[in-house]
Amino acid sequence: MSFLSISNVSKIFGGVVAVEDFNLEIEKGEFVSFLGPSGCGKTTTLRMVAGFELPTSGEVVLDGENITYKSPNQRNVGMVFQSYALFPNMTVAQNIGFGLQVRKTPAEEIRKTVDEMLGLIHLEKHAEKYPFQLSGGQQQRVALARALAINPRVLLLDEPLSALDAKIRVELRQEIRRIQQTMGITTIYVTHDQEEALSLSDRIVVMSQGHMEQVGTPSEIYNHPTTEFVASFVGQLNLLPVTEVNVQNGTCKLNGQLVRFDHSEQSEQRQISAKPRLAIRPEEFQFGQAEARNVVLGRVEVVMFLGAVVRLRVRIGEALVSVDLFNERTMILPRVGDDVTVNFPAHACWIM
Amino acid sequence: MRRNTFWSWFWIFLGTLYFLLPLISTFLFSLRAKKDVLSFLSYERIFTDVNFTRTLGFSLVVAVFTILVSILLVVPTAYWIRLRLPQLRAMIEFMTMLPFVIPAIVLVFGLIRVFSGAPFFLTNTYAGTNALLVAAYAVLTLPYMFRSVDAGLGAIDVRSLTEAAQSLGANWATILFRVIFPNLRVAILSGAFLTLATVIGEFTIASFLVGIKAFGPYLSLTGQNKTYEASSLTIISFLLTWAFMGLIQLFNRGKSDSALAGAH
Ligand SMILES: Nc1ncnc2c1ncn2[C@@H]1O[C@H](COP(=O)(O)OP(=O)(O)OP(=O)(O)O)[C@@H](O)[C@H]1O
Ligand SMILES: [Mg+2]
Repeated sequence: MSFLSISNVSKIFGGVVAVEDFNLEIEKGEFVSFLGPSGCGKTTTLRMVAGFELPTSGEVVLDGENITYKSPNQRNVGMVFQSYALFPNMTVAQNIGFGLQVRKTPAEEIRKTVDEMLGLIHLEKHAEKYPFQLSGGQQQRVALARALAINPRVLLLDEPLSALDAKIRVELRQEIRRIQQTMGITTIYVTHDQEEALSLSDRIVVMSQGHMEQVGTPSEIYNHPTTEFVASFVGQLNLLPVTEVNVQNGTCKLNGQLVRFDHSEQSEQRQISAKPRLAIRPEEFQFGQAEARNVVLGRVEVVMFLGAVVRLRVRIGEALVSVDLFNERTMILPRVGDDVTVNFPAHACWIM
Repeated sequence: MRRNTFWSWFWIFLGTLYFLLPLISTFLFSLRAKKDVLSFLSYERIFTDVNFTRTLGFSLVVAVFTILVSILLVVPTAYWIRLRLPQLRAMIEFMTMLPFVIPAIVLVFGLIRVFSGAPFFLTNTYAGTNALLVAAYAVLTLPYMFRSVDAGLGAIDVRSLTEAAQSLGANWATILFRVIFPNLRVAILSGAFLTLATVIGEFTIASFLVGIKAFGPYLSLTGQNKTYEASSLTIISFLLTWAFMGLIQLFNRGKSDSALAGAH
C-alpha cells in the first residue's frame, strides 16, 4: 500500500462532472504534479485531498488511514495557495508559527521551528515584517514555510507560482524542489505550466476534462505519450497525414515517399485511426541527406530566430510542420521559400 | 479658469454659511442665559444637572451593549454569507436595510405588542425592558454595522484565509477570533461609532420603552422646557457627533497609512 492513495474518486458539482474516476498511488517523499488545461479538475482533486471538497464517490487514504470524510483541520496537510493567503494581521513569524500555536505547542518550540523555517526560506531578516511589506515571491515563501512548519504529512500546492513574474517563478520553483527534497515531504503540485511540471516532478499526472490522461515520469510523458491529448499538450507535436500504414513492418507513405516509424509500442497500446497521421516532435528534424534515416522534401515558409533555437515552419506535402534546429554560430539560416531536404530517424516518430 | 475658481469658492462659501450660520446663532443664543451678558451659564446648568449625566450614562451603556450584540450577530453572519452562501448576500443586504424603511414607531409598537405579553413579559421588569431596548437598537443600527463589516470582508480574501487557517489545524472559533475579527478591526470600529451616535440620540424607541431615563428623551424634554439649555445641548450633541466622526477618521487614517506603506 502506498503512502497516499486516491481511489476511484469522482466529484460532480450539480450535474457538472469536475473529476471522474481518479486513481493515483503516491509514494512517501514523492513529488507528483497535476498538469492540465484550465477547468480540467486539478484544483478540485487537490481540494479533495485537502478536505475542502467531499468526493461524490471514491476514497482518499493517507498513511493507512481513510481521510475521505475527515475535516481539513484534522488532516495535518499543508496547503499553499496561488493567492498566498497570508494572515494580514500577523507578522511573518506569527504567520509561520500559527499552525503550531493552534496545536498548543510550547512557545520555545514554536520559536525554534519558526527560526528554522525562516532559515530554510532565507527570510531571517524579515521575521517581524507584515505580509504587505514583502514582495510576492517573499510572501509565497512565507506561505510555504507556514505550511511546512506543522510538519504536514502531505504538502499541497495549487499553482503557487502563477501570480509571480517569470524570473522569480523559475527561481522559486527550484527552491520549492530543494526544500521538498531536503525535507523528503510527499508533495502534490498543481500547475498548467508544462515546463514547471517537467522540471520539478518525480511523476506527472496529465489531466483533461476531469479524467486522467496519463501518469508517468516527465520523460515518459514527453517521449512516450499514450494519447494524442498528452502528446500535443506536453511539448509541441507535428501530425502529418500519411497513407498505406503497415504496422507490422513499421512503414507508411508520406507525401508519396516511404517512411519508417517506431512500431514497437504500436500494436498493444494504440489503435490506428481511419485517418492515420505520423507524429513527430519539432526537435527531431535535421536538414540535409542522411543514410538510415527518413528523408523528405519540403519548402520553408517561416523562419524565427529565437536564440538557442531556430524555429522553422516547413511545408511537407499538405502539412505545415514545425522544425526546431539548435543554433550554431556558423549556421547559415534557410530563407523563406527555400526548398529543403529534411531528415528524421525512424525511432523518433509514430503513428496516431 | 479664474472665473471658475471664483465661482467654486463662491459656492463653497455659500454652503459653509448654510451649515455654519444656524450653528453659530444657536451657539450665541446659548450664551445668553444671563440677562445682557454673554456667559456659559446654560452649559454650567446642564453639566451640573444630574439628569444630563444620568441619561447620557444610561444611553452610553445601552450603546455599548448594542454594539457588542451587533458585532456578535453581524460578524459571523456576514462572514458565513461571504464564505458559504454568496447567493443570499443580496437578500440579507436588503433585509438589513429594512430599518431605514420601517419607521421606528412601527418597530417599537411591534416590540411592545409581542414582548409585553405571554410568553415573554419582558417589559414587566427593568432588565427585560433594557434588554428589549438593546435588541431594538441592534436591529435599528443593522444597516450601519452590516455594511461596514461586509465591506471589510470584501477587502480580504475570506475564502483563502479561512482555508489556510483550516489546513493549519484551526477550528471555527480560532478562525473567527484570530483571523477574521482582527482583520475587520477598522470596519467594526466604524460600524460601532455609527451605532453609538445613533443610539445616543435616538428618541422614538427610547421614549416608549424607558422614557426619560435615556438621553434622547431627555434632550427632547429639555428642548421643550428650557430655551437656553436646549441650545447648549444642541451644541454639545454636535460636538459629540463630530468627536465620533473624528475618531472614525483617525482609525481609517491609521489603516490607509499602513496600506500606503505597503505600496512602496
Ligand atoms: N464549487 C464549484 N461549483 C461548481 N462547479 C465547480 C466548482 N469548483 C469547480 N467547478 C467546476 O469543476 C471543473 C474543474 O474545476 P477546477 O477548479 O478543478 O479546474 P482546474 O483544473 O483547477 O482549472 P484552473 O487551471 O483554471 O484552476 C470546472 O468545470 C469548474 O467549473
Ligand atoms: Mg485550479
